[in-house]
Amino acid sequence: MKEPFHPKIVSFLCKWCTYSGADLAGTSRMQYPPSILPIRVMCSSRVNPVFVIKSYLSGSDGVLIGGCHPGDCHYQSGNYHTRRRIAILKKVFDSIGLETERVRLSWISASEGSKFARISEEFTGKIESMGENPTKKKVFL
Amino acid sequence: MKTTTAKSLRVSKKEGVRKPILAFLKSLLTDAVFDAILIPMQVPAGDSYAWVLVKDPSLLDQANPLAPIMPVQGAKALKSLTRKGEGNLKIAAVMRPCEVRASVELAKLNQIHLESITLMSVDCPGVLPVADYFENPGESEKRFNAMLSENRWGNGSMKSVCQICEQFSILPSSDFHFGLMTGSESSVVLISSSPKGQRVLKDRSLDGSVSLSDWENGIESIRQERKKERTKRFREVQSMVEGFDGLLKTFARCIGCHNCQSACPICYCRHCYFGSEASKLDSDFILKKAEQRGGLSFPLDRRMFHVGRMSHMSLSCVACGLCSDACPVSIPVADVFSFVADQTQRTFDYKAGEKREEPLPIRQYRLEEIKGVEEWVKDAEGVES
Repeated sequence: MKEPFHPKIVSFLCKWCTYSGADLAGTSRMQYPPSILPIRVMCSSRVNPVFVIKSYLSGSDGVLIGGCHPGDCHYQSGNYHTRRRIAILKKVFDSIGLETERVRLSWISASEGSKFARISEEFTGKIESMGENPTKKKVFL
Repeated sequence: MKTTTAKSLRVSKKEGVRKPILAFLKSLLTDAVFDAILIPMQVPAGDSYAWVLVKDPSLLDQANPLAPIMPVQGAKALKSLTRKGEGNLKIAAVMRPCEVRASVELAKLNQIHLESITLMSVDCPGVLPVADYFENPGESEKRFNAMLSENRWGNGSMKSVCQICEQFSILPSSDFHFGLMTGSESSVVLISSSPKGQRVLKDRSLDGSVSLSDWENGIESIRQERKKERTKRFREVQSMVEGFDGLLKTFARCIGCHNCQSACPICYCRHCYFGSEASKLDSDFILKKAEQRGGLSFPLDRRMFHVGRMSHMSLSCVACGLCSDACPVSIPVADVFSFVADQTQRTFDYKAGEKREEPLPIRQYRLEEIKGVEEWVKDAEGVES
């Protein structure tokens, strides 16, 4: 019997906003899918595009980058830089025909536990509909 | 404000453009307009070119501002020259436009100091792939010079990136320019486009009555042809790399030597993630990966290296094609990278190295821009947040 597909979504969450938002979702006992694998980073701009590429090529079905809302960055402007970086990365993915939809950048503040739960669910649903990451079973990488 | 002055050098058809340009450069050295000139020079063995910082004017006879190959990017030479600051010497660097652009990009990245450097660009017919040249240097030299004297620009034996290069002539970022595509073959136009460039033309007894229109028209018509070819080639490249399988196929031969990175003028980081300790995995982890996939090929992470490099340097890529030249297994690295670079630079309406005053897109941001990168979702009340 074929096992049902449970996506794995590597999530880089900013310590000040999204990670706290995820915490809030947990302490408020909100349900969200177990597909999210959180990695706490000090700022979303700490996410080197290579981290995302590495996750993608290592078989992660989706990559979520969570940061503070524009204007709310703990370090003033980190998330604006993140936005540009992810824009470049998405353009690179797009040019060489990789699936940009597997990479998602979301702004979730520390008070938005429910938004975190909702985005997790939504993104998981989307990845489920897209199916497995095509790089997962490749021998030659 | 940019001030442009143009003068011209007379060229006899027999001796070609090289001699009068070198004579002009020589006069700049002897009259102490510059203390030294950085220029490509044939190596004594006669089978390659190297960058030489020339102090002795007589050495300039062996120099060649239009070398048929580009074994080392000029920006790299300039980087080693000014790594520890600008110095007191007034130096002219005679370069191809892509080398000028790479220098400007590196200056923006604080790797080159351009304060004491006068960037002199030449109209560039392109260069031959080094592998082709090395097969028979003497013959290639002849072939290249014949192409030059017959004004056969846009020749198919040049590097593939050269064939579709649109920025092969004067740039807003260069101080001084040698215009060769005059059509008449009897003159080289000298254009100074900055205060530093003005110093070069000051007190030179040259023909001042130049009309630039012939040259400009020549450049423009080549540019239009290239533009068409570029669109066509990019489409081909796109269909080649399309999708993950396309990526696997295109870089299938990669041996993970990272030569493309070492040859790249833009990849300057002394501590690159690729090759660092952080990128190494322990054997248990590798074994697990192999188990999941049924097997795992070595060297590890070759695709990650290429895609990673695209995301790191494509905004500053000048499409010089040195990466393809450096590839020992003939992967068309430059074709893929220049295509991706074209796409990413377009996102920010940026052209690498074209203008000095344009800051690097990665260094700045606007409060509201690039819509659609973040996924804006409606919350329960239907308000976008």
